[in-house]
Amino acid sequence: MSHLSAKQVQGFVTQNAIYIVLVLLIAGIAIYDPNFLSITTLRDILMQSSTRAIIALGAAFVLITGGTDLSAGRVVGLTAVISASMLQSQDYPRRFFPDLPDLPLLIPILIAIAAGLLVGLINGIIVSRFSVPPFIATLGMMVIVYGFNSIYFDMEPNQSQPIAGLRSDFNQLGTGYIGPSGPYSIPYIVIIAIMVAFIVWVIFNKTRLGKNMYAIGGNMQAATVSGINVAFNLMIIYAIAGALYGLGGVLEAARTGGATNNYGNMYELDAIAACVVGGVSTSGGIGTVPGVLAGVLIFGVINYGLTFIGVNPYWQLIIKGLIIVAAVAFDIRKYLAKK
Amino acid sequence: MRKLIATTLVAAVTLSVVGCSQSGGSQPAASGGGSAPAGNPKIGVAIYKFDDTFMTGVRNAISKAAEGKAEVDIVDSQNAQPTQNDKVDLFINKKVNALAINPVDRTAAGVLIDKAKQANIPVVFFNREPMPEDMQKWDKVYYVGAKAEESGTISGQLIVDYWKANPDADKNKDGVLQYVMLKGEPGHQDAELRTKFSVKAIEDAGIKVEKVAEDTAMWDRVKGQEKMAAFLAASGDKIEAVLANNDDMALGAIEALKASGYFSNGKYMPVVGVDATAPALKELEAGTLLGTVLNDANNQGKATLSIAASLAKGETPTKDSTGFDITDGKYVWVPYKKITKENMKDAK
Repeated sequence: MSHLSAKQVQGFVTQNAIYIVLVLLIAGIAIYDPNFLSITTLRDILMQSSTRAIIALGAAFVLITGGTDLSAGRVVGLTAVISASMLQSQDYPRRFFPDLPDLPLLIPILIAIAAGLLVGLINGIIVSRFSVPPFIATLGMMVIVYGFNSIYFDMEPNQSQPIAGLRSDFNQLGTGYIGPSGPYSIPYIVIIAIMVAFIVWVIFNKTRLGKNMYAIGGNMQAATVSGINVAFNLMIIYAIAGALYGLGGVLEAARTGGATNNYGNMYELDAIAACVVGGVSTSGGIGTVPGVLAGVLIFGVINYGLTFIGVNPYWQLIIKGLIIVAAVAFDIRKYLAKK
Repeated sequence: MRKLIATTLVAAVTLSVVGCSQSGGSQPAASGGGSAPAGNPKIGVAIYKFDDTFMTGVRNAISKAAEGKAEVDIVDSQNAQPTQNDKVDLFINKKVNALAINPVDRTAAGVLIDKAKQANIPVVFFNREPMPEDMQKWDKVYYVGAKAEESGTISGQLIVDYWKANPDADKNKDGVLQYVMLKGEPGHQDAELRTKFSVKAIEDAGIKVEKVAEDTAMWDRVKGQEKMAAFLAASGDKIEAVLANNDDMALGAIEALKASGYFSNGKYMPVVGVDATAPALKELEAGTLLGTVLNDANNQGKATLSIAASLAKGETPTKDSTGFDITDGKYVWVPYKKITKENMKDAK
């Protein structure tokens, strides 16, 4: 009997490791400094995790198909620059497009997201039509996108100056909130991230595209044999991922009130790390939206909490690395046990 | 096996969280809260990135200046403006008494000032100057830094001194100084101003110049070496001087010059940098680097801390309370120093 319950405990720990680590982390930090437990902290972490969650959800699409996407960070930079370049206030002295009239807020945002989608679509075409391994295809796109973005950013009259003086309505999108001012307000970007997570959850669980995505990642040959148009589905999936990075980039610009071509640098690694810590299998076929969100939150808590209690930033890197490796080692056990 | 992994994972996380917060003791953890003497204000300091040689000097100067005066909490913005904004939110949550921010992008200061103003926490920017219109947003915003054009002017003067003292410096005897320029990151204020003002200083001294080549080496030693090697391959003996926007690139250029036979058998090339880093001083001593310009990290750190500490106590900083001249009620300009082999101990 006692043997059985020990096994049950072990099973529970194995299945919910990610959430247990999250709770332990928060508990550890809170024991060190009880001031950590506050609504402001919660709100800050949610806010800071919002754009990361959107980007990680994009990466999750690709990872679940068994692919990987290294272009995510540079797409964030591209769309941050594109949206910011078209959303500067009229009275700002050094405008990217000096004569551009005030556009409706949605238009530059949609143009930026479309640019992200286009990059994703090209990734999908290279991977599916030319059979280039995703790691290489997206590595190439990562460099190409940065090159194009830098050319755009260096255009006259901007010449590589950080883009700033953004319109207040755009800035509001990233920094505004509903509800009373103060810790109990709900930031717009948190709401946007929740909506995106819900839509992605629906795609993963309730649509044919979602089923195809898991099937392709589980076993591509079997998916082809069972009549799935793998190439078409991959193109759509990479395009959606690109659009989500695009949205992430727009929100990063809105949140910080500016953009440079260096925005988003290395975000792809954060996104992939959050996904794998959240239980997305790097060999494909496995991954859930709540898992990805938990993975993002773990890093959100680490980033915020360890700084909060004054841990040396270099140690923070070591802790992050340990968690990534440990989480995957642990996760692989889980599936081995199942088999 | 599974148990072992589970235990290791949990132990690693818990231990590292607890253990490291103690090992991070070099920066007093402001979170100690109650343990701090009531008189010492808390200052949240955000550096643009920790692995920057110069900013490490400023950071150490801030820590040192804070001893007994303030409790500083120094964080790394990892060269990403979004990360820095996150850290500033965190400081506001921790209710620091003043902020000292070394912005990643100087134009992003506007949003940071809005945040600080809303929380009524005074802010001192340092080393990267916010736009003047942002500086005007609030009266509790200060800036501590050096005038970038001054570093350019001084590095140009180093070349002028050499040119005037050594008639042989004009290798092809055409009366024109042929130079190559190694630029920092394109668009970076320091890179643009140093480039412009170093050349201007030479021209102002009545020397005609010709630019043989100019390229960006991104402040980087390896890239400095690669670009210089390319310049030498393309123009070789035509080059009479090397101007670099910082020491790392100048040292890279020196390596490339050594590889093509310079600094031995009487073959010489004047190379100047900016920053007066420790490796650069070593090259000065060896005679390969002609001169450099000291961006005074120590005084920048000191000035930042004393302005921030004064603001944190609710005072208006003055020359008497901080020891630094304050221009236009907002700016503290820390002067650059010319460093050559003769006065290199000033930079140590």
